[in-house]
Amino acid sequence: MCKRLFCSIAILSFSLSLMAQSSAAPKNADIDPAAMAALNKMGTYLRTLETFQVKSVQTTDDVLDNGQTIQTNGVIDLLAARPNRLRAEITSDDMHRLFFYDGKSFTIFGQLVNYYATVPAPPTIGELIEKLDEHYGIEMPLVDLFLWGSPQSDSAKNITGAIDIGPSSIDGTSCEQYAFRQAGLDWQIWIQLGDYPLPRKLILTTTDDVARPRHSQVLTWNLAPSFNVAAFTFEPPDGAQKIAIAEIAPSASDQKGTQTGSLK
Amino acid sequence: MNRSIQNLLSITLVLLLSCGPIFAQRGGGSARTSVNGNANRNANVNSNKNVNANINHNANVNVNKNVNVNVHQDVNVHGGYYGGGCCYHTNTAAVVAATAIVTAAVIGSRVNTLPPACTVVIMNGLTYQQCGTTWYQPQFVGTTTTYLVVAAPR
Repeated sequence: MCKRLFCSIAILSFSLSLMAQSSAAPKNADIDPAAMAALNKMGTYLRTLETFQVKSVQTTDDVLDNGQTIQTNGVIDLLAARPNRLRAEITSDDMHRLFFYDGKSFTIFGQLVNYYATVPAPPTIGELIEKLDEHYGIEMPLVDLFLWGSPQSDSAKNITGAIDIGPSSIDGTSCEQYAFRQAGLDWQIWIQLGDYPLPRKLILTTTDDVARPRHSQVLTWNLAPSFNVAAFTFEPPDGAQKIAIAEIAPSASDQKGTQTGSLK
Repeated sequence: MNRSIQNLLSITLVLLLSCGPIFAQRGGGSARTSVNGNANRNANVNSNKNVNANINHNANVNVNKNVNVNVHQDVNVHGGYYGGGCCYHTNTAAVVAATAIVTAAVIGSRVNTLPPACTVVIMNGLTYQQCGTTWYQPQFVGTTTTYLVVAAPR
C-alpha cells in the first residue's frame, strides 16, 4: 500500500487526467487506484478494436408498482466494424429486433411483426449512439463497449468507489473482478487477465430504486469475425412493411398532442 | 355500416383495450443497463425508460346504461430496453355492459396490441391497420411496436 501523500498525488493526477471537470474529489480510501487503472486500461484497449463480434447473455430486472422485481432474459449479438458499420440482434423473452447501420442509414426491424423503420444516420457509430438516444429513445445495445475509453464516457469521473475484489473465472477464463460505485449505481466488472483486457461479465445494481433492480451481462468475444459488408445494410424481406419511428419530444412544453406529441 | 355490427366491433375493441394485455406499471422502472451515459439518460432510465402503458379508464355510466369508455395510453419510452419483457398481464375488470354503446379509441392515443380482424392498408406509402372504423398507424417507440390511433387516411 502506498503512503497517504503518494496516494493523494496519484489519485489527484489520475483524476485530473480523466476528469473534464473535477468537482467532488472522492475520498482516497474509497478508490483503489489499481481498480481505476484496470478500468482505464480496458477502455483504452476497447478503443483499439476495429472489428469485433460480441454476444451478451443477459438479464434485466423490472420493478412492478408494488416493488417486486421481475427478471427477464435476453441475448444480444452485435457485430461492429469501426467507424461506420454495426449490426445487432436483440432477442428477449418477447421481442426480437435487428439493428442495421451502414454509415448512411439506420434500420430497426421487428422480425416477428415484420415491421421496419429506416432513418438517415450520422457517419460514425459514436454519433449514431447519440442520435438514437436523443431522438428516438433507443439505447444502443451494449453501449458501454463503445463508450469506455472514449471522450464521450463520463464513467470515470462519476466513480465514487473502486475496489479490486480479486481473481475470478468466467467461462473458464481468468479474470479480475472489480467493484465500483457511482451515484445511483453499484456495478461489478470482470476483466479478462492477460493481453486482451476485455470485459467478460458485468453486474449493474440500480441503487436509487429501493427495489435495487439488477442487470447482468456475460460477454463472449470474437475479435476476428468474418462478415460481408452487405450484412450491415437492410434488405426488406417479402411482406415487410415500412413504418415510422417516433421521435422523442424535445421537452414537455413542446408537446404537439398528435403523432409524436404523446411521448414524454 | 350496420349499427349492431358497429356496436359489436366497438365493444370488442374496448373489451380488448380494457382486459387485453395490460401493462403492469413498473413504478421503479427497470434496472439500468449501462454504466456510461449522460445524466439525462441516467435520470430517465430510472423513471421512464421502460415502455409502460398508463391507462386511464374513465367510465361514465349514464342512466340509460350507455357506457362511454375513453382509453388513453401514454407510452413513456426512453433508452433501449434490452432483455426486458414488456408485458405483464394482469386481470382487470371490464367496465363495459353488454348492451353498451361505446366510443372507441381516441385519436392520438396509443395501444400496444391491435384488436382482431384488422386489415393492412397501405396509403401514400404508409402502413395502416384498419380495425373496423378505427385506423391505427404502427410505429416504433423506442424498440417497441405501438399503434397510434389516427383519423382515417384519405
